[in-house]
Amino acid sequence: MATTTRPDTRGEDLDELDLYTIPIHSSWFSWDDIHDTERVALREFFDGSSISRTPKIYKDYRDFIINRYREDASRRLTFTEVRKALVGDVSLLHKVFLFLEKWGLINFAAPPGRGAGGVGEGDDDDGGGARRSRVAVEDGAPVGVRVVAVPNSGRPMTLPTPAVGKHDGRKGSTAGQFRLPSLASYSDVFAGLMKQKGLVCGSCRGTCDESGCYEYTKSFPFLSELWSLQQQQAQGEFNICANCYNNGNCGENKSLDDFEFKEGKGNSASHAATWTEAETQLLLESILKHGDDWDLVAQDVKTKTKLDCILKLIELPFGEFMLGYTNRNGRDCNVDGNANNVSQVQSATSELPPETKTMEQANDQTEEIEPNQINDVLNEGPPLKKKRVASLSDGGSSLMKQVSLMSALVSPNIASAATESAVSAICNETFCPREIFYGSNSHVSNGSSVPAMNHLGRDIENGETEMKDEVPPSDAQGPLPTEGHMPLQVRAATATALGVAAARAKLLADQEDREIEHLVASMIETQMKKVHDKIKYFEHLEHIMEKEYAEMDDLKGLVVSERINILQKALSAGISRWRDQFSLKPLTGS
Amino acid sequence: MPMKPLPSSSSRVPVKFKIPTADNLVPIRLDIEIDGQRYRDAFTWNPSDPDSEVVVFAKRTVKDLKLPPAFITQIAQSIQSQLADFRSYEGQDMFAGEKIVPIKLDMRVNHTLVRDQFLWDLNNFESDPEEFARTFCRDMDIQDPEVGPAIAFAIREQLYEIAIQNVTSARESRISKKGRRGFEYVPASKAGGISLDLVKYFGQKNSVVRKRKDWDAFEPIVDILSSEEVDALEVREKKNTR
Repeated sequence: MATTTRPDTRGEDLDELDLYTIPIHSSWFSWDDIHDTERVALREFFDGSSISRTPKIYKDYRDFIINRYREDASRRLTFTEVRKALVGDVSLLHKVFLFLEKWGLINFAAPPGRGAGGVGEGDDDDGGGARRSRVAVEDGAPVGVRVVAVPNSGRPMTLPTPAVGKHDGRKGSTAGQFRLPSLASYSDVFAGLMKQKGLVCGSCRGTCDESGCYEYTKSFPFLSELWSLQQQQAQGEFNICANCYNNGNCGENKSLDDFEFKEGKGNSASHAATWTEAETQLLLESILKHGDDWDLVAQDVKTKTKLDCILKLIELPFGEFMLGYTNRNGRDCNVDGNANNVSQVQSATSELPPETKTMEQANDQTEEIEPNQINDVLNEGPPLKKKRVASLSDGGSSLMKQVSLMSALVSPNIASAATESAVSAICNETFCPREIFYGSNSHVSNGSSVPAMNHLGRDIENGETEMKDEVPPSDAQGPLPTEGHMPLQVRAATATALGVAAARAKLLADQEDREIEHLVASMIETQMKKVHDKIKYFEHLEHIMEKEYAEMDDLKGLVVSERINILQKALSAGISRWRDQFSLKPLTGS
Repeated sequence: MPMKPLPSSSSRVPVKFKIPTADNLVPIRLDIEIDGQRYRDAFTWNPSDPDSEVVVFAKRTVKDLKLPPAFITQIAQSIQSQLADFRSYEGQDMFAGEKIVPIKLDMRVNHTLVRDQFLWDLNNFESDPEEFARTFCRDMDIQDPEVGPAIAFAIREQLYEIAIQNVTSARESRISKKGRRGFEYVPASKAGGISLDLVKYFGQKNSVVRKRKDWDAFEPIVDILSSEEVDALEVREKKNTR
C-alpha cells in the first residue's frame, strides 16, 4: 500500500468505543452499508447469479472478517484462520479476504507478514514461504517423485540433485558459478551459456574448442529425423569437429553439405588477445584466491581460456612477482602481501638519479661493492641491489662515463680527496696492489690530481677504452699494465666515483639543511608575530570589557536605587497585594 | 472475470466440461515399475500443449532421474492415455445448477502431514488451487517446498474427478437440484454428486458464519513427522497396497 496517505483515526462506536485505525483511502467503509467500491471489486455478490453469493452474504463475510481481525488488531489475521469459520467457496472467501486486506480494513496495524506485503495477484516478490512454494509449483522438483531402487526396500533413493529448478539456476548463473547442470531442463535453458564453455563433437565426442567445428544447419523435413536428433538438439546445435568432418564421419542421416564451418576458439586470436579491464581484474582476484590453479582461474574468468590467463598474467607488469608470491604462499596470500611486493618492485624500478642519493645510500653501496668483484656485483647480486646498480651504470662500458660525470659535479679538490680515501681503502683490503698505488701516490700528491680529474671529464665520450689515460699514475709506473690489474683500476675508479657522489650528496644535504633551518626560523618568526598581535588584540578587548563592566555596575546601582524608590512609594501608597505579586516577579526574573 | 449474461442463467444452462479452475490443467499421476525400479510422480499438464511435448518431457525426465530408457515409452504412454481420457470429456455437458462441494485433504508429503477440508464452488472458473495452496503454506508456515504443489495437485485431482462424475450423471439425467441433505463429508473421491444444500447454508435464515463447534472440523491440521514416523507410515502403506 505504497500510496497510503495519512492514516485516519475514526471512531467506530459499535459495541464499545474502541478506536481503530484504517487508511484514509478506506474511509468509505461503513458497517451499515455496502459501498460502490465493494460492489465493483466483488461484482459476483451483486449480480444475483447465485444463491450463495448475495449482498447479505457478502456483508456477513465482511463483517465477520473485520471483527475477527479487530479482536486483536496487532496480530496478522490469516486467510486460513478465517475460512474455517465461514461457509462458502474458499476461492471466493479468499477474494473477499484479499479485498479487505488491500484496502487496509484488516491487517492494517498488524506487522507486515512473512509474505503478505503486496496483496494483489502478482505477489511473486513476497517472502520466503510464498516464493518457495511458487518455485516448486512452476519448476521445482517433481511432486512426490520417488525412485525406489528395490521394490522391497521402500526407501526412496535420493534424487541426483533434488531441487535444481529454474529459479535456483538463475541465481546460480548470475552469481558466476558455473557448475555443470544435471537436469535436462537446466541444459535446455542454459544451452547458450554451455555452448560458450565448449562445443562437443557429435560424432567423436571430443571437444571442438581448439580446431574449430562444423555446425549442423540443415532443417528437418522428416519427423523421424527430428526424433533422432532430439537428444542433440536438446543440448544445442549439432556440431562435429574438423577431424570428423575431414574423415566424412558426420553421423547418420546427415551429409557433409549440411555442415557449416565455425571458427574455433584456438583460431580466433583477437578474441584471446583483447582483455577488458574487468577481465583483468577478475583474473587478478582469482589468482589471489586460487594461486596457480589455472583451471579454477580460467573458470572464474569465464571469457578466457586457461592459456589466455597464463599469457595475460605474464604480460602484466609484476605478474611474475605475483605468481611467485602466490606460488610460495598458495591460497593464504592476501592483498597486503601483494601490495608489499609491488611496492618493493616499484622502488626498485623507479630509480633515483645518482645526484639525489643520500649519504647513507652511497655508503651502503660502497660497502656492498667493495668486498666483491665488480663483475659479481653486476651479475650475481641479490635482485634488488642488482637493479639499483644496474641502473646506476648500465653495463661495464659506461662505468667510466658515470664516474667522470659524477666527478664533474663536485669541485676538483673534493674529488681528489675522495679518490685518495677510496684508494687507501682498497689498499688496506689487499696487500699486493699497495705498491702500485703508493707509487702513484706521490704522483697524485704532486698536484696532478686536478688535471687527472679534468682529464676524466673529457673522457665521457671515450669510455672504457681510455682507461689507461684515466689512471695516468699507474701507467706511469711502467711495469704494471698487465691484465690482472685492470679490475683493480676499475675498482679504484668506481670507488672514486662513489666517494665523489657521497661528497656531492653531503654538500647538497648541507645546503638543504641550511635552507630548512632558514625556513623554520622565518616560520617561527611569523608565528611569534602572529601571537604577539593576538595578545595585543586581547588586551584591547579586555580594556573594553573593563570599561563596560564599570558601566554595568553603575547601571545596576541605578536600577537598585530606583526599585527601592518604587517600593517605598508603593508601600506608602498601601497597595500590599499588588506589591506582593510585583515584587515576586522581578525577583525570580532577575 | 467471466460475467454471466443473465442472473439466473447459470443455473439453467449446462456448462461444458472443464475443470472448475482458472487454468484448465489436467492432473496427471504416474506410477510405473520396470525391473524393480519404481517411478511415481504427479504433475499437471496443459491439454492445449502439442502432444510432441510428451515424449520430450518423458525423455528429459528419464535423463534427469537417471532411469533406464525403458521408462521413456511407459511415461509417454501413460501421459498420453490420461490426456486422451481428459479430452474424451471435452465438449460434453458437465452439469446444470450450482454446486459447492467439500474438498478434503488428507495427505503426507515427505515429513509434512496435512489434513484439511473446505468448500469449493464448481461454478467459479477463476479459482486458483495453486494460489490457495500458496496461501495455505504461508499461513501455516510450511517450509517444505513440495507441500504447496502437492496440495494444489490434490485439489485439482478431486475437482477433475468431480467434473467427470458430473459429466456422466448429466448424461443420464438432469441432476436433481436438491443434493443430498445432511452435513456428511465422505471422501471427495466418492462425493462427486454430493454438494451442499445451498439453501440450507446460504438461505436468508442462516448465517454464513459457522458454529464454533464446527470450526475444528474445518481447521487445517499440519503435522511435521519425525523420520521414524515417516518410515513406519511407509511400511504400513506398503502392506496396504499388497
